[in-house]
Amino acid sequence: MTVFHFFNCAILTFGPHAVYYSATPLSEYDTLGTSIKAALVYLGTALVKLVCLATFLQVSENDSFDPYQELLKALIGFIDVAGLYFALTQLTHRNISQNNKFQAVGLGWAFADSVLHRLAPLWVGARGLEFTWEYVLQGLESNANLVFTVSLAAMGSLMWLRKSKPRALIPLIYVCAGILATMPSITSYLRRSLGWRLPEVVGFELSASLVMAIISWQLFSACQRPLV
Amino acid sequence: MATRKARQGEMLESVYSVLAMVFVLVACVELCDAATVLDVYRLIQYDLAGSPFGSRFASLNHHASSSAFAPGVDLSRSVAISPVRELNLTVLREFIEMRRPLGGLLFLLPKHFDRSGKQDAEEGDEVEVGRWRNTLAELEDLLIHASLPYPVYFAFENDKVAEILVDVRKNDASSQPATATTGGFKLLVSTSEPKKLASTSITNIQGWLPGFKADDDVNQLPTIAIVASYDTFGAAPALAVGSDSNGSGVAALLELARLFSRLYSNSKTRGRFNLLFGLTSGGPYNYDGTSKWLRSLDQRLRESIDYAVCLNSIGSWKNELWIHVSKPPENAYVRQVFEGFSDVAKELGVKVGLKHKKINISNPRVAWEHEQFSRLRVTAVTVSELSVAPELLQNSGGLDDSREFLSESSVIKSVKLVAETLARHIYGHQGKNIEIFADGSSLAVNPSYISAWLDFLSQTPRVAPFFVKNDPFIASLKKELAEHTVEVNVHQDVLDGTYTFYDSTKAQLNIYQVASVAFDLLLLLVVGSYLILLFSFLFITTRGLDDLIGLFRRPPSRKVKTA
Repeated sequence: MTVFHFFNCAILTFGPHAVYYSATPLSEYDTLGTSIKAALVYLGTALVKLVCLATFLQVSENDSFDPYQELLKALIGFIDVAGLYFALTQLTHRNISQNNKFQAVGLGWAFADSVLHRLAPLWVGARGLEFTWEYVLQGLESNANLVFTVSLAAMGSLMWLRKSKPRALIPLIYVCAGILATMPSITSYLRRSLGWRLPEVVGFELSASLVMAIISWQLFSACQRPLV
Repeated sequence: MATRKARQGEMLESVYSVLAMVFVLVACVELCDAATVLDVYRLIQYDLAGSPFGSRFASLNHHASSSAFAPGVDLSRSVAISPVRELNLTVLREFIEMRRPLGGLLFLLPKHFDRSGKQDAEEGDEVEVGRWRNTLAELEDLLIHASLPYPVYFAFENDKVAEILVDVRKNDASSQPATATTGGFKLLVSTSEPKKLASTSITNIQGWLPGFKADDDVNQLPTIAIVASYDTFGAAPALAVGSDSNGSGVAALLELARLFSRLYSNSKTRGRFNLLFGLTSGGPYNYDGTSKWLRSLDQRLRESIDYAVCLNSIGSWKNELWIHVSKPPENAYVRQVFEGFSDVAKELGVKVGLKHKKINISNPRVAWEHEQFSRLRVTAVTVSELSVAPELLQNSGGLDDSREFLSESSVIKSVKLVAETLARHIYGHQGKNIEIFADGSSLAVNPSYISAWLDFLSQTPRVAPFFVKNDPFIASLKKELAEHTVEVNVHQDVLDGTYTFYDSTKAQLNIYQVASVAFDLLLLLVVGSYLILLFSFLFITTRGLDDLIGLFRRPPSRKVKTA
């Protein structure tokens, strides 16, 4: 029953994106085009990141946490942020509200990320006879990633698209965005330095994603209120 | 409008064809990444005069079970894993005799443990080892003479397999044996069905060392023949290395060839006897190869053979060696030969006994190699540590016959015994106390040479039907003999047709840990409910509860509008 297992893990990994699209008003306003454009921008960003990583990074023999290398990886991770910026601001979107724009962009971004990073291992690995929990955990990771990306897109839209923000919240917004952008470095630090195994890392990611989601939701709704 | 639709249709078609191609390509990726991969060796499969023996199948795809042949358990779709150390032979015997159905059998052999030099092992250890060696020998005997309609494999114990076995036992103890619905471990050997091997070829190698013939001597010089068979037969042909039967004989023969070639290289010390060294194949099958080789020899050469010494299993005796003859002991010639051996034996401090076994011409069974000589009226003896003749296919290099149970000093003593006896006969020193191959002399028996050959032989499985064309092992034997003798001839023949063998002796076993169907269904349920919950949550938070309920209400009927 191994194709069965593949099917299970696939709907766990990619289902939430489809559900998100259909459940929220995104489907009413037909923002599929925006999501697709965001996915394409993600592809481009991934290519640029790959080239930079290949050029600047050295492959270490042991699996330890090298601060210099990790710093370099984090810097290259900011290319991600640049890509999001491009997707949010430079692309022409149809007239859709701020609210839906960042959601659509975040959704497309996260879906492309999932497909690129998780589809191939899933296809090749989950169909085998051998059973491991790895692919279920990978699916959960993809869910957490979706939440992270949408939160980051929300912060991004706040930073670049909204001109009037309450003064007090601005540094908080930037801190939030910073944490979200460096999330890959944090998880890699946990995995290598502290030696956490995959289930614990995924658990951390899920809880962190919930926390960040709540924080960004509050920030976003706080900025929605018209300034007095 | 129409052209746009046509173009769209074309685009869709091309997209579909690309998708179909991608699917086909991707579906061809067959992955086989198991948690554990093990080298396994199959039980031999052969037909003797049409009756099938051994394991008749090779490919395996069943769940693992370890319920050790308990009655009442349905094992027809599982593979029973049995470590040999804990095997209960009577239960297994009953199981096989009752022809109970079984998916497959996997025997776990103890790892080779390093006993080189540890001659003074503890008492308990020795008894333990002796016990499972006996078990192994009996098991082999049982399996070789049974016809099993399922695959039977041997594997060596290692840590991973031990862990898996513990898990399998836990599963078995708690619930029913593993099937597709309850999860557990799945064993998979994917090979093709075993095919009959075309006729087995046997290769006999002979080396000739001519004696010193004075110019005025017209008569043919007498010949002494030294013969050993080099092939084996065991339950697992890929593991049948036969260190004692008959690796010890082969190593001894090569050392004798080396010693006598040194003596014969100098014309002053060349004896007045020719020496014929024979490495024969087909030993386990009633010495078929020896018989065919002798018949292919020139008749004059055969008649010139004074006597022949056959070496068989001389690697693990302590104090007593046996000389087996087929002529009655009262025969003057036999007495002379035996006296020669016992004189030297007394000097070396060992004992030789004489055993007489009459040949029954009507009985096709040839118990010792010398009987093939005797059937052609050539005097011959067999030197062996075994006091009783082995049965057909017994004691021919099975699973328990490995390097660590061999004693090099036994082989060295045997070489010394045979060499001195032959030398005294050749040079006419009978009765005199002259030691030609004394330790420390240039003609001393070389322990490292013997040890090196024993090591090599103990790593080469030598079951005759599975030698490839131009096998490197046979070539190396030929090369070694050529170094010590003047002329080497290779005689090729075909094993007699009553034996048919089947291929596929080695394979790789994949052990997968599989989850049951129930687990997959459960996971589907969990994921499905998670997605539905997520959908409802998002819907409610963004559009409100009323809209969610509105989804399920039927849309207002159209009749109202058209009316």
